[in-house]
Amino acid sequence: MFSDLLFRLRSLFRRSIVENELDDELQFHLDKQVEKHVRAGLTREEGTRLARLQFGGVGRVKEECRESRGLTLLETAAQDVRYALRQLSRTPVFTTTVLLTLALGIGANAAIFTLVNAVLLKNLPVADPKTLVRIGDQNQCCVRGSAIADGDYGVFSTHTYEEIKKNNPEFEDLAAMQAGFEYRPIIARRGGNQDPARSVVSEFVSGSYFNTLGLKAAAGRLITDLDDVAGTPDTAVMSYETWKNNYNGDPAVVGSTFWLNTNPVTVVGVAPEGFYGDRLATTPPSFYLPIHAMPLLLGAAYVNDPDTAWLYVVGRLKPGVAWGPLEAKIGVQLKHLFANSKLFSSAHDRPLLGKVHVILTPGGGGIQNLQQAYVDRLRLLMWIAALVLLIACANIANLLLVRGMGRKAEMSVRTALGAARTRIVRQLLTESIVLAVLSGVLALAVSYVGARMLLALAFSGEQHVPIHASPSWGVLAFALGVSIATGVLFGVAPAWISAQAEPADALRSGTRSTAAGAWWLQRSLVVLQAALSLVLLVGAGLFAESLKKLQSTDMKLDATNRYIVHVNPQAAGYKVPQLEALSRTIEEQFHAVPGMVKVGLSTYTPMEADDEDFGVQIQGQPWLNKGASFVKANAEYFDAVGTRVVAGRGIDVRDTSTAPLVAVVNQAFVKTFFKPGENPIGHRFGPPGPKSPGDWEIVGVVEDTAYTSVRWKNHAMYFTPLMQTPPSTSTLDDPNSDVYIAAIVLETARPMPDMEAIARRTLAGINPNLSVVKFQTFDAQIGDQFTAERMLSRLMSLFGALALLLATVGLYGVTSYTVARRTSEIGIRMALGAERGGVIAMIMRGAMIQTVLGLGIGIPVALLCVRFVKSQLYEITHMDARVMMSAIVTLAVAACIAAIVPARRAASINPVQALRME
Amino acid sequence: MIAQHLDLPQGTLDLLILRTLALGPQHGWAISERVQQRSSDVLRIQQGSLYPALHRLERRGLIKARCGTSENNRRAKYYELSKNGRQQLEIETGAWEKLTAAVAQVLGVA
Repeated sequence: MFSDLLFRLRSLFRRSIVENELDDELQFHLDKQVEKHVRAGLTREEGTRLARLQFGGVGRVKEECRESRGLTLLETAAQDVRYALRQLSRTPVFTTTVLLTLALGIGANAAIFTLVNAVLLKNLPVADPKTLVRIGDQNQCCVRGSAIADGDYGVFSTHTYEEIKKNNPEFEDLAAMQAGFEYRPIIARRGGNQDPARSVVSEFVSGSYFNTLGLKAAAGRLITDLDDVAGTPDTAVMSYETWKNNYNGDPAVVGSTFWLNTNPVTVVGVAPEGFYGDRLATTPPSFYLPIHAMPLLLGAAYVNDPDTAWLYVVGRLKPGVAWGPLEAKIGVQLKHLFANSKLFSSAHDRPLLGKVHVILTPGGGGIQNLQQAYVDRLRLLMWIAALVLLIACANIANLLLVRGMGRKAEMSVRTALGAARTRIVRQLLTESIVLAVLSGVLALAVSYVGARMLLALAFSGEQHVPIHASPSWGVLAFALGVSIATGVLFGVAPAWISAQAEPADALRSGTRSTAAGAWWLQRSLVVLQAALSLVLLVGAGLFAESLKKLQSTDMKLDATNRYIVHVNPQAAGYKVPQLEALSRTIEEQFHAVPGMVKVGLSTYTPMEADDEDFGVQIQGQPWLNKGASFVKANAEYFDAVGTRVVAGRGIDVRDTSTAPLVAVVNQAFVKTFFKPGENPIGHRFGPPGPKSPGDWEIVGVVEDTAYTSVRWKNHAMYFTPLMQTPPSTSTLDDPNSDVYIAAIVLETARPMPDMEAIARRTLAGINPNLSVVKFQTFDAQIGDQFTAERMLSRLMSLFGALALLLATVGLYGVTSYTVARRTSEIGIRMALGAERGGVIAMIMRGAMIQTVLGLGIGIPVALLCVRFVKSQLYEITHMDARVMMSAIVTLAVAACIAAIVPARRAASINPVQALRME
Repeated sequence: MIAQHLDLPQGTLDLLILRTLALGPQHGWAISERVQQRSSDVLRIQQGSLYPALHRLERRGLIKARCGTSENNRRAKYYELSKNGRQQLEIETGAWEKLTAAVAQVLGVA
């Protein structure tokens, strides 16, 4: 069989040589025969004639030889493809429509698939990701000073981590990493030359981090357990990307000194290329530092506090270790550890101790925070893309069917001339497959562009996108597979139906006899398309509504003429005692700027991704195991942000570090901690504990300005003056680093477009190290919080529009075909006196019936599907009647437009011509 | 002239070609002449069926083709039996003999 294949291939590819050989061979035979005759006595002429007679038709012999060489399958396949391409290029409109439709449908799916692959299924670029486990399953960022209510522990204190490591030999190695490193950038400056100070992200990790992940340095060495000992000189590892981009891969970086937050640190090596950390983040760490360097660099004393949890833990299990028993064992160990912790000391918390447990999850993909945040949205997008593909395929099927119908006459003639049915079917099928493969190739381009567009939308404004949009082999295979399957699936039916043509029928004039089956298939496809389009349109409408609601929620702030400047005085070298003077200076300097109305200073601002919370207990009341977020702010902060004081007073200039400690709470705080009607002013509260200290006295109540997210309702908050620190929190070695201001909120009298330059100048004038970490208008900062929702809404609208377009094209196609098919009938009607309007109405009626049927199916389906997307929507629990109505109207109008064009064409048929066409 | 010659039953052409080639490699014309000679001029292969049959046999791998020089120094395509061809020849010869013996029995011919 192999020789057979080779033979055939040779015949196919070395055609001319084979042909020449054949000619020579037959010519040789003829010559020999002529010689024979001449030897027998005939003249050369007579001999030649006789030889030719005896031989028979040389041409026919050659043809038979060719046939017996077995050119049938391969050569005819090549023939078919060439013919298909020719035919397709003759009907450019049809070809383009099909190509675009299929390319868009498949491309959209491939784009989403690429993203799903990259985000959800990606493993960390480490050694053997399958044996890595994470202790914990939730996003419990970032620094926790209270007991976890449901007992599911995924974040740990340094002391707890060390204990787990000591007592569990089932781990080959265990590593700890900072849970919330993205929120505390540091200022890095290379020692020696005039390298400018940059604000970079760094992550604090245990010494065993790189060993657990099984990584090797790209240059120098990586940190080990020996580096993570208190008292040793500070070392750091630089990320490969930072090394290449910021320092040009300079080998002198290894071993050099860097000034991180004005502290000298030796960079001992560079992490391997392609390693971006232990999680997908928009700003991967530039430096990896050992945990014990943290108190010095960040002033965060909670490193040594056994009750403050701030580390994620990932480890590599020894082969053959079962997860279940290990989980239980660690759970018991934690219960023992926490038994004496002050977090569980109160009567309220004791029972929580029994709930403490851990859950082991696969660690190969790293910390799954980003994935968990996006997984729902990605899944939704996949469903939507699949629906669009379905509509596209229905369109293709229809178009192919119509095309098949139109060539019935041609097929009948071919059959009459002797073509086998299977040959015709094969040729039509080849056409469909050629079309499908071309679309598949186009789809790849669409998918690449689409994926990049999605990423740009999702991560707009970020410098670093951790996911690559290049399609993988899996996506390529998927795209091609789907396109070929579509081609075969939707090409077979029309091909088969077309090949059923009876030759006599076609040669007899008139194509009145149509396959009824094809007609019904067409109509039901259009109905399906209409239904699906309605569902997608409704979806788009709902998401647009949700976005509008989100953006128009009253956030109880004022963003007009407001600018937010983020700074990092700690990184600039300021120590806590210097802060009071710094705050005064900043206020004075900014007030000196003409046009400045208010200057607010705080630890963080509304609608940014930062939050700090603490347990709260009202003095004299039992602890409710609740906490509140807090912001330290200066006197002008409330006005600068636009928060109104509704009772008592706001923060005042009188509230200095030596004055009595006061706090202003928001309305949600009052609702959480006080009974209705109770006046909170005058009450005291403080951190929870048996002594129940009443550090703060409540002097005022403000409105519930939205912090972090609009969706966070009942967000209890309290605001304390910048310079006041309660004595009970000063039990830590270093003062609480939360007193550092991080934001300056500026209100100006009128818009000032050059505010950023002014801010930089002013700050530089106070201290050249005091650089602007981030500058935004308040509006921009708020807008950033809606990026994901905006993107989703835009995509839904895009898909909805696409679906509508496809459905319209489908309806147009079918209606056109109906008109063409019924030309003679319409001609007769008009000859018998039907009016133009009547004809139009007749055609339109047919089209509208299909649309109404589609609506009839689509409306209940849409109503049903609302519950699946409810979680993605903001404050939408049921179908909005307006959205449904506008979707129905849109679809109906599109259907009308699609139908009216062929209808008018039908009405302008000349009856005489139509009848003559018989 | 044609009346004296018998038409070949189907399928026997291949057998004849194989048998002829068993004697040694030959080109197409020589095969035709040889069959004619050996059958005492009874069998004459239609020129138009010889070459398609040769090509078919080549495709099936029963004979191999190569270029060679003929008696009068002309280039010609020579065919020779392959190993499979030899095996096939034996099989088909056996089948033919069985067939003819059976038919002869039925017809009552010795």
